[in-house]
Amino acid sequence: MSTHTIEHGEHEVGHAPSPPDRRNLLQRPGWIRGALYTAIGFGIATAFVTGIRSLGDLDPVWELDVLLTAWTVIVPLAFLAGMGVFSYWIYWVTGKPTQPEDHSGHGAESWKDYFRVNTDHKVIGVQYLITVFFFFIIGGLMAMFIRAELAEPGTQLIDPNAFNGFTSVHATLMIFLFVVPVFAGLGNYVIPIMIGATDMAFPRLNALSFWMLPIAGFIILASFLLPGGAFSAGWTNYAPLATQQPDSNLMFQMGVQWAGASSIATALNFLVTIITMRAPGMTFFRMPLLVWANFTTSTLVVLATPFIAGSQFLLMFDRVLHTNFFEVAGGGYVVGYQHIFWFYSHPAVYIMLLPGFGIVSEVLSVFARKPIFGYRLMALSLVAILFLGFSVWAHHMFVAGMAPWLRIPMMITTLLIAVPTGIKVFSWLATLWEGRIHFKTPMLWAVGFISMFVIGGLSGIMLGSVPIDQHASDTYFVVAHIHYVLYGGSVFTIFAGVYYWFPKMTGRMYNEALGKAHFWLTFVAFNVTFFAQHWVGLQGMPRRVADYDPAFANWNMISSIGGFVLGASTLIFLYNMLVSWRSGAPAPGNPWRALTIEWQISSPPSKYNFDEIPQVVGGPYEYGVPGARHVVLNGSRTVETEKPEPATAGAEH
Amino acid sequence: MTSIAHTDSDHGHSHDHEDHPPEQYYSSKVEPPILGIYLFLASEAMLFGSFFAAYFFARVAVPHEFWPPIRPGTNVQFQLPVFLALINTIILVTSSVTVHWAVTSLKRNYRAGLIAGLSLTVLLGLTFLLIQIREYMRIGFSPRDEAFGSTFFGLTGLHGAHVFMGLMFLTFALMRSMKGHYSAKHHLGLELPAIYWHFVDVMWIVVYVMVYVV
Amino acid sequence: MGSWRAASTACGNRCPFRIAVREPGRLVFRGAKPGPSVRKTLYIQLLLLTVVIGAITFVISLVAISWLPTVASEEGKRIDDIYLFTSVICIGIFALVAAVTVYAVLKFRAGPGDMEDGKPIHGHTGVEIFWTVIPTILVTVIGIWSAVVVVQNDDLPDDHRIVNVEAQQFAWSFSYIDERDGLNGMQVGELVVRVNEPVELHMRSPDVIHAFWVPEWRQKQDVVPGITTFYRITPTLEGTFPIICTELCGLGHSVMRNQVRVLSDADFDAWVADQQQAVDSGGATLGQSVFQNQGCAACHTLSAADATGAVGPDLDSVLAGQSAEEIRQSIVDPNDVISEGFAEGVMPPYGAVPEDQLDALVEYLVTEAGG
Ligand code: HEA
Ligand code: HEA
Ligand code: HEC
Ligand code: CUA
Ligand SMILES: [Cu+2]
Repeated sequence: MSTHTIEHGEHEVGHAPSPPDRRNLLQRPGWIRGALYTAIGFGIATAFVTGIRSLGDLDPVWELDVLLTAWTVIVPLAFLAGMGVFSYWIYWVTGKPTQPEDHSGHGAESWKDYFRVNTDHKVIGVQYLITVFFFFIIGGLMAMFIRAELAEPGTQLIDPNAFNGFTSVHATLMIFLFVVPVFAGLGNYVIPIMIGATDMAFPRLNALSFWMLPIAGFIILASFLLPGGAFSAGWTNYAPLATQQPDSNLMFQMGVQWAGASSIATALNFLVTIITMRAPGMTFFRMPLLVWANFTTSTLVVLATPFIAGSQFLLMFDRVLHTNFFEVAGGGYVVGYQHIFWFYSHPAVYIMLLPGFGIVSEVLSVFARKPIFGYRLMALSLVAILFLGFSVWAHHMFVAGMAPWLRIPMMITTLLIAVPTGIKVFSWLATLWEGRIHFKTPMLWAVGFISMFVIGGLSGIMLGSVPIDQHASDTYFVVAHIHYVLYGGSVFTIFAGVYYWFPKMTGRMYNEALGKAHFWLTFVAFNVTFFAQHWVGLQGMPRRVADYDPAFANWNMISSIGGFVLGASTLIFLYNMLVSWRSGAPAPGNPWRALTIEWQISSPPSKYNFDEIPQVVGGPYEYGVPGARHVVLNGSRTVETEKPEPATAGAEH
Repeated sequence: MTSIAHTDSDHGHSHDHEDHPPEQYYSSKVEPPILGIYLFLASEAMLFGSFFAAYFFARVAVPHEFWPPIRPGTNVQFQLPVFLALINTIILVTSSVTVHWAVTSLKRNYRAGLIAGLSLTVLLGLTFLLIQIREYMRIGFSPRDEAFGSTFFGLTGLHGAHVFMGLMFLTFALMRSMKGHYSAKHHLGLELPAIYWHFVDVMWIVVYVMVYVV
Repeated sequence: MGSWRAASTACGNRCPFRIAVREPGRLVFRGAKPGPSVRKTLYIQLLLLTVVIGAITFVISLVAISWLPTVASEEGKRIDDIYLFTSVICIGIFALVAAVTVYAVLKFRAGPGDMEDGKPIHGHTGVEIFWTVIPTILVTVIGIWSAVVVVQNDDLPDDHRIVNVEAQQFAWSFSYIDERDGLNGMQVGELVVRVNEPVELHMRSPDVIHAFWVPEWRQKQDVVPGITTFYRITPTLEGTFPIICTELCGLGHSVMRNQVRVLSDADFDAWVADQQQAVDSGGATLGQSVFQNQGCAACHTLSAADATGAVGPDLDSVLAGQSAEEIRQSIVDPNDVISEGFAEGVMPPYGAVPEDQLDALVEYLVTEAGG
């Protein structure tokens, strides 16, 4: 094998030219065939529905809700088939000779490769990130409309229907198309490398997961084009309001199905990858905490997401087939919807945070130059959150009219979640303690995250107490809680992660000054926007209202101003990312002097990450321990002459 | 160190070629696709769980004098074809046995057993579906008839859709078996549908017990 | 940059990288040993910082700002107690976290060009147990206290009044269903209760989920179609408080408001007398009481009825020139014609109001504002 180290070698192995595709453009997988298939799918779906309806003498033949259901199922499938996502499986299942894997789906040579179906986890990671930040901006712009309308009492800018539509789509995009998938994107890029694997376990499934995501986003946004405006029953889409809404509500139901399928497929992929593809020596308790976090998150996703799929299927049946799952008149049980919904959506909040916990652990340890304090307990507390997370869903329903006896047990489990979460918070603080802290941008976000998330978590504890929730539920106190945990929590960790791995992904350094400006502006504006909402809520302002009591006018104005500055601060981020990607200073392999595997290879990594599978010889965070190593790469043998000790390396897997 | 034999999905590529990844190391004895399908089935089980939850709410949370409830406007209960469903249960359980036979036959390189087992499974599955469809036509109520009808059709329909998918996979596997695509070493293409089929079977038993019997 | 990596791996792997030093009874860290005296000053400084931040947060949060509106019910007082207790715990925890963060940021900052690593402390079992056990205790106490409050608040004395509440898109209506004060069957457009008399609201909704919230009473409860939910309260303060719908219920959700009047015994008796008189007299007074009882005042301004609602059109001005037929149509089927500047689907249709009452209502509106 090659003797040069991976870091130094420009390991740009020539793209082995795959045999030229002799098919014409309409037959070759890609956008053109995608468009063709989309049109065909549209035709088939329309013909199918209208055909059956006219045969069955159903009136009207053009029933919009039925058509929409068929379109949102069939057209995306046709599009995916056109893009070539399914080709391999169809060949495989039908026993046709599959194309030999020539890895032509790997690596990206030009920007165009990012618009193709690609099976390289690094390419898919970048595809994910770009897509989700696109939806973050759209969702954020909707928040700008919300804040503009709420700047003053009364209705000025948008009518209540549009307002409810913006709130619902804002939250839906932020949750299902930003925070949940952004971690899938970051994880896609770094997790295989962190565990020393060449790719994910199922690269084609990985591509499918990604391509389902823009479809979900498109469906959700398309709801604006339908009669009656976007779906507007909130992101929780409670029955029976949801079934009363215009047909655009179907777009929430179907969009969530696609996003959910995408996240289940990725999670399954992560789990198999982490379980079966760890490098030799990489025992569970030598995995970086981000890997642990993705492991627990993925378990949550695989087990919980089917419940939101179920809840939306049942809602869809109620609307399209006129079933009675949640219709009182037909003996349905309204609160049942909420149980099923929250059985997913509470675990979902940990799905949106645990990977962030992982990122923060990576960043804190590297920039404090210290091992993670209490590594094992940190890993185990993630598992504790995983289990507890399944037993608390009804805390969203304390005042919903559910069985009263359920409140106390659910309250106790809810409050107990503070314990494993507290372990994490305190261990991070202990990691900072006596460290040598370098305040690079990722570190600012990670440290900022701790206190912001704790505010959000503590307001969660207040909501978790039934009597307090009876007062604070469905008020702006909850809105404040949401944004402290989701923005101050998840989004801060996302920024930390994006800045942290930016050099690895792009091979260029971001601009440190702009990064810091972004942090400070966001930090201040964020608190200005959301802190007073606690007070406003407790004083009597309900959530999801376009119009409110003039008594709250001042604080809402402040909140709106803060919101606009918060939006503007995001512009700095976008600018920094775009410009640095094009013309930032070249990044070395390991700018942060980190020990985890992804930093031991070049930036950006070579096409297959490694020339040879690395050997893991120690924990991932042994900063300050003289001579400690996490990994031995074949390439580093030119620097080091050591061989991994059998006692630590070979025996433990 | 466990290095997993290449599955039949991989057509070994030349290793002297420059542009290829290093050989992947496997840290677990489980083959990735097998682990994958089990995780997928865990997810599927939860999807059934959500439908069962709806069923539970319709049946328990809303007060009923009887279950099946009284048809509105009359004083007779809705009727479930319990006996027919029992026959269907027996059919499906048998088909689990036959698919298992097919897989073991393949592993022992006993081709006739493989083909016969698979064919029988497909036939049994088809019979199950046909009986189910016939049951739907004659059952005398529709998904719109009360939450009772909705949950009944919801659960059996969700299961039926799984039977349908399973049948598709098995049919393709049968076609491929006939073409001689599998061997005692490369049998993932059969094993995955078989695992899926066992799951469909187990799920039916749960549906049967919860919907028809209890 | 390459040299950084070399620095962290310079020492050969002979060096043990995970030292576990355990001596019973002493604060010993896994990893390098601490210098005791340095550590002590660190802790004292930290303690001071915590106290300072804690005090500031405490003052700002609990003393300088009143977080909750005036409390006006027995149940609310209990909720305030648990709220205060939980807040204090939360403030303490936040102060601790903030202090450690601020302190670490100030104290353990690496200088420019500092390539050293921090102390390789891997953990400390005692400390880890400590911060597992203490939060467990704290949240358990919060949980037990909350549970006690829930049980107490659910438990109303037997001699309580029962009022039916109907929430529909987007109006509230109330009817008295027990024999007290001879109000049985009386429907009213705003909730009127006696001070210090426990009330149980039996709440129903014909359409979607709503929620009944009176901030001053603290309690909140969803009103769910298909089931009856209960709201138990003992008002302790006279006054007029808003009733707010807090569950998104459609277009008019933000305007789905009403009010509760808590009256002294004397005022309440006077109000009861008024009501009975209105029912007896018929005609225009009946019209007026229908206007009030159906909750029109929550949305409309009508000077004759002292109504000042601003959700719908000002009836004093818009009704001028309208015929009885038109007005009737606007009430029974409001979405037929939508007044300019107002949204469709906000005003609920009132087709179910008994014919004689509707006649009286229309006649009342015609005489007071229309014609
Ligand atoms: C990332 C997302 C996220 C996270 C992590 C959390 C975390 C928590 N949430 Fe939150 N929550 C949401 C997102 C999130 N939530 C959203 C989106 C909603 C609204 C949904 C909607 O209706 O639209 C919501 C709503 C919500 C409600 C319902 C409110 C209502 O509608 O009436 C409740 C009630 O119990 C609750 C509780 C909690 C609790 C107890 C935690 C805990 O996990 C927090 C634990 C953390 C800490 C406590 C801080 C750190 C701990 C220590 C420093 C240790 C010491 C602490 C103590 C001893 C107290 N949340
Ligand atoms: C991760 C999740 C997430 C994120 C990041 C945000 C981000 C923001 N949210 Fe959101 N929000 C939710 C999740 C999230 N929210 C949820 C779950 C709800 C509940 C919904 C429901 O009730 O159903 C909610 C509801 C919600 C409400 C309550 C609505 C209501 O109840 O009626 C408000 C009101 O202030 C609000 C505001 C904001 C603001 C100002 C931001 C800002 O942080 C956004 C900043 C980002 C940008 C603005 C985008 C990028 C910027 C540009 C492209 C620059 C150009 C723009 C300008 C300078 C104007 N959100
Ligand atoms: C939830 C708020 C709400 C309630 C309660 C309500 N209205 Fe309205 N009303 C409106 C709105 C909004 C409009 C304007 C839209 C429309 O024309 O439908 C309106 C319109 C009207 C009009 C037509 C005015 C015009 O411009 O011609 C009349 C008359 C009227 N209401 C009478 C009543 C009466 C009588 C009641 C009680 C029995 C009542 N309303 C209850 C909100 C309300
Ligand atoms: Cu009724 Cu909101
Ligand atoms: Cu929750």
